[in-house]
Amino acid sequence: RRSVRRRGAAVLAKTKTKKKHFVAQKVKLFRASDPLLSVLMWGVNHSINELSHVQIPIMLMPDDFKAYSKIKVDNHLFNKENMPSHFKFKEYCPLVFRNLRERFGIDDQDFLNSLTRSAPLNSDAQGRSGARFHTSYDKRYVIKIISSEDVAEMHNILKKYHQFIVECHGNTLLPQFLGIYRLTVDGDETYMIVTRNVFSHRLSVYKKYDLKGSTVAREASEKEKAKELPTYKDNDFINDGQKICIDGENKKMFLEKLRKDVEFLAQLKLMDYSLLVGIHDVERAEQEDVESEDNEPEDEGESDGGGIGTPPDSPSNTLDSTKPLSPGEFDPAIDVYAIKSNDSAPRKEVYFMAVIDILQHYDAKKKAAHAAKTVKHGAGAEISTVNPEQYSKRFYDFITTILS
Amino acid sequence: MSSNCTSAAPVSASKTKTKKKHFIGQKVKLFRASEPILSILMWGVNHTINELSNVPVPVMLMPDDFKAYSKIKVDNHLFNKENLPSRFKFKEYCPMVFRNLRERFCIDDQDYQNSLTRSAPLNSDSQGRFGNRFLSSYDHRFVIKTVSSEDIAEMHNILKKYHQFIVECHGNTLLPQFLGMYRLTVDGVETYMVVTRNVFSHRLTVHRKYDLKGSTVSREASDKEKAKELPTFKDNDFLNEGQKLPIGDDNKKYFLEKLKHDVEFLATLKIMDYSLLVGIHDVERAEQEEMDVEGVGEEEEYENDGMGGGVLTGSFGTPPDSPGNPLNCGGFFGPGEFDPSVDVYAIKSQDGVVKKEVYFMAIIDILTHYDAKKKAAHAAKTVKHGAGAEISTVNPEQYSKRFYEFMSNILS
Repeated sequence: RRSVRRRGAAVLAKTKTKKKHFVAQKVKLFRASDPLLSVLMWGVNHSINELSHVQIPIMLMPDDFKAYSKIKVDNHLFNKENMPSHFKFKEYCPLVFRNLRERFGIDDQDFLNSLTRSAPLNSDAQGRSGARFHTSYDKRYVIKIISSEDVAEMHNILKKYHQFIVECHGNTLLPQFLGIYRLTVDGDETYMIVTRNVFSHRLSVYKKYDLKGSTVAREASEKEKAKELPTYKDNDFINDGQKICIDGENKKMFLEKLRKDVEFLAQLKLMDYSLLVGIHDVERAEQEDVESEDNEPEDEGESDGGGIGTPPDSPSNTLDSTKPLSPGEFDPAIDVYAIKSNDSAPRKEVYFMAVIDILQHYDAKKKAAHAAKTVKHGAGAEISTVNPEQYSKRFYDFITTILS
Repeated sequence: MSSNCTSAAPVSASKTKTKKKHFIGQKVKLFRASEPILSILMWGVNHTINELSNVPVPVMLMPDDFKAYSKIKVDNHLFNKENLPSRFKFKEYCPMVFRNLRERFCIDDQDYQNSLTRSAPLNSDSQGRFGNRFLSSYDHRFVIKTVSSEDIAEMHNILKKYHQFIVECHGNTLLPQFLGMYRLTVDGVETYMVVTRNVFSHRLTVHRKYDLKGSTVSREASDKEKAKELPTFKDNDFLNEGQKLPIGDDNKKYFLEKLKHDVEFLATLKIMDYSLLVGIHDVERAEQEEMDVEGVGEEEEYENDGMGGGVLTGSFGTPPDSPGNPLNCGGFFGPGEFDPSVDVYAIKSQDGVVKKEVYFMAIIDILTHYDAKKKAAHAAKTVKHGAGAEISTVNPEQYSKRFYEFMSNILS
């Protein structure tokens, strides 16, 4: 009854998982290919459980924005099978992120399940500076490895970000920050941030754009184009004649949100963010499903990541849709960024669009620019000669244009 | 299984009674307690049982399991300060071994966790050696004793053999049921704790208590002790009062078989100075006390002695046994009745006795090793191991024989 497409419709659109016989894991082994992922699973499990013993306050206090929880595990001849014997896990501002999850309509138990029932999957999507990405096994959340500077910047903006989320009732295109952690394994510290996936957890994206509204060097490299799902850019978008065909109402709502969001970012002097655009082609996806079903072997084809027996959504996961969804359909409570193409669009599509990479602060950039002749922030980012205000206007104008 | 909290109510401690309280089963465990160390204990047991639930149960224990430990250090900043200290450490010794022991003693890990975490453990004014602290779980099923690091070392020394003994006797023993061993660190101070099953009932009050060793030198409760609410009487008191334990031939035979087996084991491990703890529940007296309290109809919460009372006291709204806890008495227990799977040491007085009683008898304090004693004796002229313990001039073998003889004589 559960449509097989749900598991198969992966972001990379090449693979498909048939319903596996999986006994819902009551025992969470935190088994993963990488100790860091095991620690992440363990840590999120621990953190959400701890929070379940902390009363939800009526409102957040200033101290909550400076708080952290830290735990250090040192086992000896115990629990060595899936976990390292020594590791540390730190969660920043636990009460703030719990509140944010609530405002974004995410239940803590569901959050926990998504991140712990099965190991997060590698994604070959790249962030700035080639930062590593993972998604939760059910693809609802994205886990990004960030720098300590990013963590510092998050702390700087957290109060205002939270306030913004309160005021817009969680209705925003900004990244939905759901948790920030520091993991220490073998003496190495890794910072991770969890956000809601911009793309669908079900519908595959066959084409992806990272748009900034600037035109200097905004083109996917050859190397990038060789990937399974390349990240195209502004110039590609224009040259391809790509269209985003959404109806007037959707467009209005989208641009209203976008305007508020970028005004907020400009106020905080943040810039160099992008609009991430993903396109799901309904017909193409149906075709792929059909092909996959034909080629059906029972082997555990590596789906875009679930090598270790991905559990099907269990009945108790409140995020499950209870009825199968038809082609191009989605649950807007889960795929919050999804917008259908309008009736007159040449192809039936679903678009996923949201703002990403908001942690670059103008002052930090200027400092770096003074320090070095040329400043390069990761592949594809150019030396911006604009300030945050200008950046936001240019960004907004560009997006407005492409939606027409 | 019927479960309303009043099933606990008719069983009261000598002084108190809990009327049905409106208590919503604590889903959120706050680990609230009168002192940080208790909060940490609750947090720690909660954590370790949860951790264990994610470690598959092995087919059998390995040698490494007897040397293992889990350690966790918490350092919170401006978070969760209400009930827990910001910094503390919790160490569990040999987690897999104790999980296995709990299983062999028919204690479900979830129940164990609930007993120790739903509400804070209670202080008991019973004293162990050196005035070590005693606590009982809020539901009186388990006793938590503060021990020394030497005791921990001794436990490690005997653990393999102890475990083997438990395997062989199928958990059927009068020895302490060791269920968990922990080290708590707060404010730089380390506290070691051992959890055992309560010898006394979690429901039926104990009206009289004896600590028997089978020796006669200085085996009398002091006046200070006698002034307590539930004094710990000793061998001489027992004999002088003409106390009897009429359990009948079958019970006596069965009891002494276990006792013999147990003390032989202790002797082979060169352990001595243990006691038989005896608690006596007077059925009629308990019924009378019930009625007295009901008559008064007070809502007051009294602290009972912590070990023998059946009442769920506690200043923070003690949860009644919730429907979900399978350890609840399923039905209504009549006077002097008990669930032998919970009150495992309980023995009824035989039919026909004038005074209907229930006896709780088991061995306690098994961590004194003969070699450690001798060393200490050489080191100091007089060796005093806590109030009432004399310098034993016997060896473990002799001690065990004298102990056994005494116990078999006092049973009838």
